[in-house]
Amino acid sequence: MGVENPAEQAQVLLRTRLCNPDFIFTIFSHSPDSNYSKLKYIMSSSVTEACNNSALLLGPRGCGKIAILEMVIKDLLQEYPDTICVIKLNGLLHSEDNCALKEIARQLCIENQLVFSKMASFDDNSQFVIAMLRECGLAHKTIIFVLDEFDLFTQGKQRLLYSLLDAMQSVTSQAVVVGVSCRLDADQLLEKRVRSRFSHRKLLFLPPSQEDLQKILQHALLLPTESGLPSQYVAAYNKKLLNTLSDEKFKDIIESLCHSDSTYNHLLRFLFAAVCHMDTKSGYLSLDNFKTALSSIQRQPKLEALQDCSILELYILVCLRRLEVKELETTNFNSAMKEYKSVHDSFQTSDYYAWNVCLRAFEHLLQRQLISLVDNRGHSQSVEFRPVRLLISSHELHQGLKSYRSCPAILHKLLDRGV
Amino acid sequence: MPPPPKGKKRVRTAKDKLLDSDLWAAHIESIWKEVDGTYWFRAHWYIIPEETAAGRQPHNLRRELYRTNDFADVEMESVIRHCYVMYPKEFEKARNEGDDVFLCEYEYDIHWHSFKRISEIEDNDVDDDEAEKDGDWNSCEDPDSDVEDERENQSNPLTRPSPAHPLAANSRKGRIFGLQKIGAKKIPEHVRSHKLTEIEKANATLLLATLPKSLPCRTKEMEEITTFIKGAICEDQCLGRYLYIHGVPGTGKTMSVLAVMRNLRCEVDAGSIKPYCFVEINGLKLASPENIYSVIYEALTGHRVGWKKALQSLNERFSNVTERSKEDDRPCVLLIDELDLLVTRNQAVLYNILDWPTKPNSKLIVIGIANTMDLPEKLLPRISSRMGIQRLCFGPYNYRQLQEIILTRLNGVDAFEKPAIEFASRKVAAVSGDARRALEICRRAAELADYRVKKLLSIPNSAAAGKMLVRMADVEAAIQEMFQAPHIQVMRSSSTLSKIFLAAMVYEGHRTGMSETTFDKLAITVSCLCTSNGEKFPGWDMLLKVGCKLGECRILLCEPGVKHKLQKLQLNFPSDDVSFALKDSKELPWLAKYL
Repeated sequence: MGVENPAEQAQVLLRTRLCNPDFIFTIFSHSPDSNYSKLKYIMSSSVTEACNNSALLLGPRGCGKIAILEMVIKDLLQEYPDTICVIKLNGLLHSEDNCALKEIARQLCIENQLVFSKMASFDDNSQFVIAMLRECGLAHKTIIFVLDEFDLFTQGKQRLLYSLLDAMQSVTSQAVVVGVSCRLDADQLLEKRVRSRFSHRKLLFLPPSQEDLQKILQHALLLPTESGLPSQYVAAYNKKLLNTLSDEKFKDIIESLCHSDSTYNHLLRFLFAAVCHMDTKSGYLSLDNFKTALSSIQRQPKLEALQDCSILELYILVCLRRLEVKELETTNFNSAMKEYKSVHDSFQTSDYYAWNVCLRAFEHLLQRQLISLVDNRGHSQSVEFRPVRLLISSHELHQGLKSYRSCPAILHKLLDRGV
Repeated sequence: MPPPPKGKKRVRTAKDKLLDSDLWAAHIESIWKEVDGTYWFRAHWYIIPEETAAGRQPHNLRRELYRTNDFADVEMESVIRHCYVMYPKEFEKARNEGDDVFLCEYEYDIHWHSFKRISEIEDNDVDDDEAEKDGDWNSCEDPDSDVEDERENQSNPLTRPSPAHPLAANSRKGRIFGLQKIGAKKIPEHVRSHKLTEIEKANATLLLATLPKSLPCRTKEMEEITTFIKGAICEDQCLGRYLYIHGVPGTGKTMSVLAVMRNLRCEVDAGSIKPYCFVEINGLKLASPENIYSVIYEALTGHRVGWKKALQSLNERFSNVTERSKEDDRPCVLLIDELDLLVTRNQAVLYNILDWPTKPNSKLIVIGIANTMDLPEKLLPRISSRMGIQRLCFGPYNYRQLQEIILTRLNGVDAFEKPAIEFASRKVAAVSGDARRALEICRRAAELADYRVKKLLSIPNSAAAGKMLVRMADVEAAIQEMFQAPHIQVMRSSSTLSKIFLAAMVYEGHRTGMSETTFDKLAITVSCLCTSNGEKFPGWDMLLKVGCKLGECRILLCEPGVKHKLQKLQLNFPSDDVSFALKDSKELPWLAKYL
């Protein structure tokens, strides 16, 4: 029992790596053109030269903005111990100025072992922050403000940003304000007087290029030789993996993965799924593992929802679609039922259900969001009278019916005739 | 502390003794006479680096002392003689003070064993407590004295009773508690022993927080403000004194007023004009517009009350003069920055503030600063009639002024190529005339140059960068970073499907002539594009996800993805930008024909 299979150990190691952004992004930390070095330069210049800075990290989600920032902060904390104090805010939590300022004061108090009072007012807190900035500047301490989801801080009067950035330009302290946002126009959202105080350092984070992708694949998946794993196994594993990586089929898989989304995050999730599918008996990552991972990551939720529908629900969907083709202004449960009845009358189908059964099926469709209510008004009305719209397109419906196990032929006909 | 060698006598000066910790230096705060006729003084000690917890650090100078917060009452008899303890700036200039000259840059907290720089004398207008102490410091002859070894004094402060329960740091009832805890355990070495390069020096002078020695280009406006305030203060009868200053951000409005106030304070100190009180308020830093009453009241009287009570007392204060005490009689200059934030629905706050100066003998002078030119016109007539009389406009700087501002800051630092500065100032003058922006561009350019130089130096066998200047290219790069939106780069590096998605958006837009489309229509277009060009159509759900991701970056404007095929989509950038970005993409050459 005590001796673990080396393959299992390897799996654990690989999973740990994939979940650790520090490990993944270290390969880019050495080149001088990387965002890591640029950001580190900006932030360390604030520490060593005692100046205030503000910067904005922009880029689509999943491109490693926070990961790189965390890495830089970690390195700085190591390089200059006891002189850096990090304040983290998130736009989703602290977009309201009052609460954001309170949170800053709270974190400042914790970092410096001061007593924090919840009762302090906005004025108290803002004076406290300014005083802290000045004192920390005198003690050669740097305060780093990280504002995640920066765009959300720009709602309202932008009091928080104004007071922070105004302090940057008037108090001789050393502080860095780093905004992180996935909105590319985040700096345009700032009010004029706030924008004038912001120092417009922008770092753009982009999805990886092909070469970078290859580098990451090898970096993340190859086993290290100096780990506790048996060296024979490591050598065999690495050889097999390199073979797989250079395989044409594997390249196709990666291409299809990056076809829709080429960010780091997406790739790492895919690799994690693949590693989880690894067969611990044989102990190697095979091409099949990657294939199953790809299919598990590229799901089509609406189509799958169609697969789970009952025949009656499909009938209702087809009826709604037919009504849509007839360009009726509003459709609701009753009009769908009318259509259903007329279909039944003209074709004499075997599936005819009572009104209340149909209503339940209809409600089920609403819950699965295959159809939706047009508006949120009229809560007092019962569901059958409220107007609804179909949320899936006719193509999807077609496709769904085709792949349905036992779809009555009449449904295809009804849909085609409707179209 | 090694004890002095016993029995051996060596002739040492007082300085040597002090540095061997046989003598101590102290700063005398107060002197009094006891009943028995002896004189005592209260002082705080200076200590030498060896006596701190961190010990002597490599960057410590020979004659360096630390000021401590260790107070002691000592009999006057023990004083030997006078010595000089100076700040670095004075220390550099010290000439004829003799042997007993010491340097003191830091304050040492004996309880927390932490260091803190002693704040400069200039920023003593922050709060009054500080100012008095600094004023004492300021007096050129430091009443410091060498005091004989009195060891028992050292244990005194440690036994001081601590407060019954800890006080919160951020709820300010007069002061902030616990700030003494903040301090470096050791003075970081890079601060003291780092020699600045020219570019780094330039970087430091270009900082927005650095107060320039002189303010060029605003002499006319400053004169106008000075005459306005002087006129208001010196006349006995000052009625309806109100000045509205407007101008776009970064044109030196606040800075000029503050500079004027500094100059006037010097004149008050010199006695040429009557004393007055100065209250500075920033509209954006108030929790609510009504709060301004409490802030004014606190600034005038030192008491904190609710805004309603404050309003009442202020009303009384400014309308009845006769009951005023002598001390309240000083004229009051009220500076309100970001005035537009005080506009409430019924505009009562602004009305009250603007009404006070019109009261006879209120002795209130209000200076309002805001960005918009037509703020008075947008207000109720009874307010605009009070506000709109005297105005001062700060126009945007032109390129010559910007250049002058940068050059005065860089005076004596040789780090920039001359055309680089001109380029930066011309560029900013063409866009906004914002001085902050110009300074930031130059600072960023200097930073880029510095980064480049350090990169060069890190490669061992490259040619040594003897003298590097900030070049035109650096300024260009800084401007690019500042003004260019990054969407084109993001579009270029996005996934294949997003590119097809964007191309389909453009194509759909051209076809229908409408900028807005729904996901349903777009998906059909995308599938057409895909099938006719041999791409795999990925399915609707995938496409929806791609659309939402583009929406997240605001390349598209879109409704939430729950609406699925009913989702409305629109390009957030002109379609030409998309065409430009995707025209020559390598992996999808066929996109060009749809753009």
